[in-house]
Amino acid sequence: MSDFKGLTEAVIKGDIQTAVAETQTALDAGANLQDILDKGLIAAMDQVGEKFSTGQMFVPQMLRSAKTMQECMKLIKPLFQEDELATKGKVVIGTVRQDLHDIGKNLVAMMMEGAGFAITDLGVDVSPKDFTQKAQEVGADIVAMSALLSTTMPAMRETIEALQEAGIRDKVKVMIGGAPVTENFASEIKADSYAPDAGSAVIAAKKLLSIS
Amino acid sequence: MESLEIPTFQPRLRVLNREQALAIHGAALEILEKTGFKMEHPRALKMLADRDCEISDGDWVRMPPHLVEEALKSAPKQISLYDQKGAKAIDLTGENSFYGTGSDATFTRDVETGERRRAVLKDVGNFATLVDGLENIDFAMSMANPEDVPIDDIYVYVFAEMVKNTTKPIVFIADSGRDIAKIHEIASSVVRGEEELQRKPFILNYSEAISPLRFPENVMEKLIFCAQKQIPLCLPSGSNAGGGAPVTLAGAMALGIAENLVGLVVHQLAGKGSPFLFGPNVSALDMRSSVVCYGCPEWSLTQAALADMRDEIYGLPIWAFAGASDSKVVDAQAGAEAMFSIITALLSRANLIHDVGFLEYGSTSSLEMITMANELIAMSRFYVKGIPVNDGTLALEAIERVGRGGPGSIFLMDDHTYDHFMEALFLPKLLDRSRYDAWKDESAMDLYKRCNMETKRILFEHEVAPKADVVLKEIEHILKRT
Ligand code: B1M
Repeated sequence: MSDFKGLTEAVIKGDIQTAVAETQTALDAGANLQDILDKGLIAAMDQVGEKFSTGQMFVPQMLRSAKTMQECMKLIKPLFQEDELATKGKVVIGTVRQDLHDIGKNLVAMMMEGAGFAITDLGVDVSPKDFTQKAQEVGADIVAMSALLSTTMPAMRETIEALQEAGIRDKVKVMIGGAPVTENFASEIKADSYAPDAGSAVIAAKKLLSIS
Repeated sequence: MESLEIPTFQPRLRVLNREQALAIHGAALEILEKTGFKMEHPRALKMLADRDCEISDGDWVRMPPHLVEEALKSAPKQISLYDQKGAKAIDLTGENSFYGTGSDATFTRDVETGERRRAVLKDVGNFATLVDGLENIDFAMSMANPEDVPIDDIYVYVFAEMVKNTTKPIVFIADSGRDIAKIHEIASSVVRGEEELQRKPFILNYSEAISPLRFPENVMEKLIFCAQKQIPLCLPSGSNAGGGAPVTLAGAMALGIAENLVGLVVHQLAGKGSPFLFGPNVSALDMRSSVVCYGCPEWSLTQAALADMRDEIYGLPIWAFAGASDSKVVDAQAGAEAMFSIITALLSRANLIHDVGFLEYGSTSSLEMITMANELIAMSRFYVKGIPVNDGTLALEAIERVGRGGPGSIFLMDDHTYDHFMEALFLPKLLDRSRYDAWKDESAMDLYKRCNMETKRILFEHEVAPKADVVLKEIEHILKRT
């Protein structure tokens, strides 16, 4: 079975009940797990991302779709052998030291999760050391930092330096964002990518890891 | 004939009835008693524990309503702010409204080039000078987060810069107990002594708790500092509908008010009778762009509702916003949004109204926007004065004179017009009413361009009363120490 239309539609609609039922049906019919994930759930979230960025969907609708996907994941995750589940990449995300704004960061994390990334969210006021340790611990592909204050932007630079010192700067991509952050600032501190909003954060992350 | 003495009704907006106000207040109390909040400041936590609050999980607090009642009783119903020469400038009580700028915008629209660029310290000085020179802007905030000063002391530098460039009251930001002490030192120096500052404060601190229901240590440090030094303070929390708070405005208000009440209780426990300006910021998160809006009707509506709750329940002066926009430039949207919030803030009698001059949801500041708002405030103040009805304004004698005066007799020529036109009519300075040809001959300027020219004129011509040399020296000294 390769048609996941019902599932895709339910995820886009944010209809949890139907989506979960569709997932179960697909499982019962013996569909390939990775296919359910890629061609069903993630394909749906790609469309959601597209609809959101073209103004056809509002934030709560997009988040409901993400939640719908997560509910479906609960059914299929346990069936994967450990390490077999191919995620798009591992992301360690947080708001930088002394910054307590978290709504934008949470939104970025939710969207990335919806797009198939494995997210470790360190919360707010995250020190360079904590970013680095966690990145090492989980073997992160991306370190994603949010800052809403111009006074906390320097902590982004320090975190990049900490990654350097720990010898893992070349193993992770660094992504930054938040209202005062600019493209210029990103290149100044040698971050790999900058995104102005949650939708473009997903696109940027995919680009960083060369995935579609 | 007896002369007519009729009190003038002043147009007034109401958005809540008493039942609604009491229900939102009740919900706020319930949040504090049942849900509770996270208090990360050890001393504040102890104060609350000592006063019948229930503590769990280390710093989670549940608060009984009677503490709120006590705090509401001890907080002063009136807060006066003075200018830096000691004259009363802002009397925050009852229905008085005062407008001022906003704080930390990252970028500014350059007045010469129109370009959006990072703000620098010089901009803070320009904004303060402009505020000083505009008759309807009553207090200054920094309007900028300059990139050319040491970050650890950014708020000390911007405060010093404001002091040097305006005599009006200042609403200031600080990061923690450390920099607020330095700012307090500068302010004391300006009025030659801490006691004098306490007696006639020209400063008010704007700190923020974190929605939902979180009270960080550095924030409470500032609050306690202000309570003890009797520096007036406000503590909104960013309970924006759909962002830090529920999307429905009643719930967002209940949460924001609950958070404010926590601040008030700790504040009154730390300094009974110290001045506390009430009010959360309840704007809305835009469901398309995810920005928290500065030009939306929701914020104006919730603060009008808060004004009703002030009148029904709290009795404390309130904090508000107006004159800002989500537009990226000073355009028609900026004008529309600015006017909407300015007039409704006044119609609902909000007391201390900040953020005048913000563009781009608070990320960018604009001098021209303030100059424009100055005129919009004048227009709104005129409107809210209402229509005085008395012998002089009914003008029956003038009607008789002109009506019976025969051909050529016109009101424009009558003494009554000459005597009254200044206060009877609104006389705009920047809003254009010229005839077409005159407008065209004056290079067909739009409002933005006129505001730009007027801004430059004020920055060039306006003289701010200079600070005494000793004060300037002390400021330099304090800055050097930082
Ligand atoms: C990794 O890759 C990426 C990629 C993209 C990324 C990304 C990471 N991170 C974000 N993005 C991007 O994608 C997100 C989703 O599309 C977007 O995230 P945003 O966060 O921009 O968008 C969110 C979905 C909604 N937006 C928000 O949540 C922020 C809105 C505004 C109004 C705001 C809020 C709500 C708050 N605040 Co704060 N606050 C302001 C904000 C002004 C504004 N309108 O932006 C801003 C950011 N605050 C400011 C200030 C000064 C402060 N705040 C403070 C506190 C707060 C509240 C606690 C009250 C509250 C936060 C509550 C919370 N739980 O997060 C204080 C500092 C606290 C601290 N230490 O962190 C305080 C210092 C105020 C004070 N007097 O104490 C200003 C910063 C100025 C500056 N240049 O530094 C400010 C611009 C307002 C202003 N004009 O003054 C993008 O930026």
